[in-house]
Amino acid sequence: MASVVFDHATHSYAGAGAAPAVDRLDLRIDDGEFMVLVGPSGSGKSTALRMLAGLESVDAGAIRIGSDDVTALPPARRDIAMVFQNYALYPHMDVAANMGFALKIAGMAKPERDRRVREAARLLDLEPYLARKPRNLSGGQRQRVAMGRAIVREPRVFLMDEPLSNLDAKLRVQTRSQIAELTARLGVTTVYVTHDQVEAMTMGDRVAVLRDGVLQQVATPRQLYNSPANVFVAGFIGSPAMNLHTVPLVGRCAVLGGLQVELPAAALAAAAAEQLTHVRVGIRPESFAPVEQVAGGTVTGRVELVEDLGSDTYIHVAVDLPDGPAGFVVRADGRIQIHRNESLRLSVDPAEVHFFDPTTGSRLG
Amino acid sequence: MPTEDLLARSRPNARDGPTRWFGYRRRHTFQPAEQTVGWLFSGPAVVLLTLFIVVPFLLAVGLSFTNQRLISPLPVRLVGMENYRRIFADPVFQRSLVNNAVFTVVVVPVQTVFALWLAVLVNQRIRFISLFRTAYFAPVVMIMAVAATIWKLLYDPDIGIIDGVLRAVTGGHLSPGWLRSSALALIAVIFMSIWQGVGFQMVVLLAGLQDVDRELYEAAEIDGANRWQQFRHITVPGLRNQLVFVATVTTILSFRLFDQVYVMTRGGPLDATQTMMTRLVDVGFNQQAIARGSAIAVVFFLIVCVVTLVQRLLLREREAD
Amino acid sequence: MATLQAHNPGPNARPQPDAAAATVNPTADEGRATPPPGRGFPWRSLRRYVPLVLLAVFFVFPFLFMVVGAFKPDDRVLADGAGWKAFVPFGASLDNFTDAFSRAEFGRLFLNSVLITTCIVLGGLVVNSLAGYALARMRFRGRKILLGMVVTLAIIPFQAIAIPLLFMMSRIEWLDTYRVQIIPFLANPFFIYLFYSFFLGIPRELEEAARVDGAGPVTIFTRVIVPIARPVYATVAILSFLFSWGELLWPVLVTRGSTVRPLSQGMAVFQTQPPIQWGDIMAFATMTTLPILILFLVFQRAFVQGVSRTGLKG
Repeated sequence: MASVVFDHATHSYAGAGAAPAVDRLDLRIDDGEFMVLVGPSGSGKSTALRMLAGLESVDAGAIRIGSDDVTALPPARRDIAMVFQNYALYPHMDVAANMGFALKIAGMAKPERDRRVREAARLLDLEPYLARKPRNLSGGQRQRVAMGRAIVREPRVFLMDEPLSNLDAKLRVQTRSQIAELTARLGVTTVYVTHDQVEAMTMGDRVAVLRDGVLQQVATPRQLYNSPANVFVAGFIGSPAMNLHTVPLVGRCAVLGGLQVELPAAALAAAAAEQLTHVRVGIRPESFAPVEQVAGGTVTGRVELVEDLGSDTYIHVAVDLPDGPAGFVVRADGRIQIHRNESLRLSVDPAEVHFFDPTTGSRLG
Repeated sequence: MPTEDLLARSRPNARDGPTRWFGYRRRHTFQPAEQTVGWLFSGPAVVLLTLFIVVPFLLAVGLSFTNQRLISPLPVRLVGMENYRRIFADPVFQRSLVNNAVFTVVVVPVQTVFALWLAVLVNQRIRFISLFRTAYFAPVVMIMAVAATIWKLLYDPDIGIIDGVLRAVTGGHLSPGWLRSSALALIAVIFMSIWQGVGFQMVVLLAGLQDVDRELYEAAEIDGANRWQQFRHITVPGLRNQLVFVATVTTILSFRLFDQVYVMTRGGPLDATQTMMTRLVDVGFNQQAIARGSAIAVVFFLIVCVVTLVQRLLLREREAD
Repeated sequence: MATLQAHNPGPNARPQPDAAAATVNPTADEGRATPPPGRGFPWRSLRRYVPLVLLAVFFVFPFLFMVVGAFKPDDRVLADGAGWKAFVPFGASLDNFTDAFSRAEFGRLFLNSVLITTCIVLGGLVVNSLAGYALARMRFRGRKILLGMVVTLAIIPFQAIAIPLLFMMSRIEWLDTYRVQIIPFLANPFFIYLFYSFFLGIPRELEEAARVDGAGPVTIFTRVIVPIARPVYATVAILSFLFSWGELLWPVLVTRGSTVRPLSQGMAVFQTQPPIQWGDIMAFATMTTLPILILFLVFQRAFVQGVSRTGLKG
């Protein structure tokens, strides 16, 4: 068990002049921590993981596991285990052989090897399947074998590259909690790559958000949600996505039509320092308060679409802002009675409004 | 040694290939370099290919400009294009070019279509079908020297079953005598070659047939396509890769035509079945005119290269449609 | 009896160009007959067998002729050849077979062929698969040139280089040996290409997993790649076997006596020794063909599967 440090780690693909796939990544993962790397495709999250595995080169900077600089070490010497997206089970070996392959390569005696394989199999409910070939297993079972193959090695770090993306929705939710529970129990440092922000939020001790090879923010899920560092993180985390609109800044307030939201002092100071005339306002769909209750005015919009999910209702609303029409998504109680083309008055709790610099996208304050 | 030579000049950080195998050489040296392993893996093949194909071929090119004979009192000297002039002036070689062309033009389409028909037939799901598959493939495992010998007997005008049957059916009027007829010998060779070779293509196409998504047929059926339309618009396009492979390989093999001719007719009668390869062996080995034989080899190689390139261009164009 | 099974493992991969059959019985399994449309004798499905049987006759009758002839006295092979009698073993005896052994040294030639073919097949599998793997998966300087070379060399037929090669071999005094019949045929560009294209299709994740598991390139090749690539090994082994078992020209050029001569040449030489004894030739041909036929029947499943999974698909 060990901590993991990316120290200005950079990887550039072959194409000359192209932007690096991972650009000066600085990230410290604590011993025993479950770190999720999340981002859209092409964000460099998988590349970062593969650099840590030793499958991609570190072209500048360094990577350390514990106190060892592993930057130049081949994968086998890094004491890591990896779960691949398609599991990469050896099709010609049965489950036991798949799980024991690394130990066999390492020259471990057969009795000890068998013991560890059986132990991992018990942990994962794989005991009845030890003699089966991967092609005779279900998707979920294959996924567990891939996990088992990582566990038997008792590595310092688990690396997981979208390990749930090949499972159906129901199984994915189930397996999600199993993995989180298992890694917590084993206490092994885990780096987990996903493009699914729900996985990121539910599984990670901390979450690192990447975009175009650049780290955007590292924080606990709660912090990411409550104070996203920039517009990208704000829009990426949360579903439905945060409503983001650029509006005029008048005095101390951001003006959304009839709705005036006062900026907190820190945000106001930052806006003043940049001499901003507009700010980018971010409001989560659930931050709109029930109508006609909060002081500070309201804004009225026309309902364009109602998505009734049973427990919740997502209402898509078109609002005329000074700079033109804008769409908002509002999350309301499932029992609300509302229809297309009706008008809806919205108000919002100022404490739950986020403010960003419209040009740089960074959080104000 | 080309291996060492290339290793010595190798860039330490070549990025043009696929996988990185080891740690990164820029930073440390204790892991064997991927370059080395790449060359160790391919080394034996490279050495053998060089010694037994590249060098002899280059030697053939070189010899084709000399007057080298296997055993000759005359000193070896350069004769320029003389050998090429002679082979193109040689009526037997001209005949062999025509024969090769005819063989290819007939065999490639006929054998491919025949193989496709067989593949569709044996792709039916009915009882004993795998027996039929085996039967159709069986000639492929009969070596050419044997197959040609058997067919030589079958084609014999006096004791062969083929003419025997023709006589019986036509009351003794028809007995063409295949291999002894200069008009029919090439046709007989073609027929026998297809018998021997079509099974292999059938297997390749069958493999392709079984990979065509069954849903496509169901969709076509819903769209009202009849069986011929399904074959035309789903099976054939779905088999495109296999058909291209089969046609390309058959073309190359057609130009190589040798064994069956060598055993059945030795190029006769009256050069009716001469091919570039039989002519090459005849000139180069039997007449011991190594230089002229080499010139034939070079011409052969160039022709096959051109045909392959043209074929590839044509197919690529169709792909672009 | 073993039969040619189509490779078709998955239930999802069951294409059916014959829509009629699919409608009649969508669940019909491989080898099970289509149920008759009505009760009584299945005339309809019988009709489908007519072309199949006729074609089978066309492909198999030369075999029958050969085997029957092998048991007949020489004069009967000739006398019976033109009619139905050609396919009935009148006056059957094993004389031809014993003749083939005594007159044509079948035993010696057979062992020669076995030795030469075994060396070429096994050695070739190693050499060609290693090269195909390096080309498909490793980065080394000259890889692309090598790939181009392999593709180009695949066009050159052996006959085209036979004469200069003979010239070279006689210079280093390799004539009349086993090695001159083996070593030049080990590396084969066509087989390298088949291996190459198969290896390209193996998911890279598997090798990465093995690397993370601590395996080096040799271990990955022997423990992961080779077991997965069994179909292509089977395909290449069978093709290579067919090619070398049947090679005709080269033994003619490089062998004199029967000491190192293979079967294919015995077959050709046999016919040039008057008086031509057709019965003996048939026996010789039968014994030459039988081992390949058996070998093929044993390995055909792997072979067909290989064809459908290798670069043979184009």
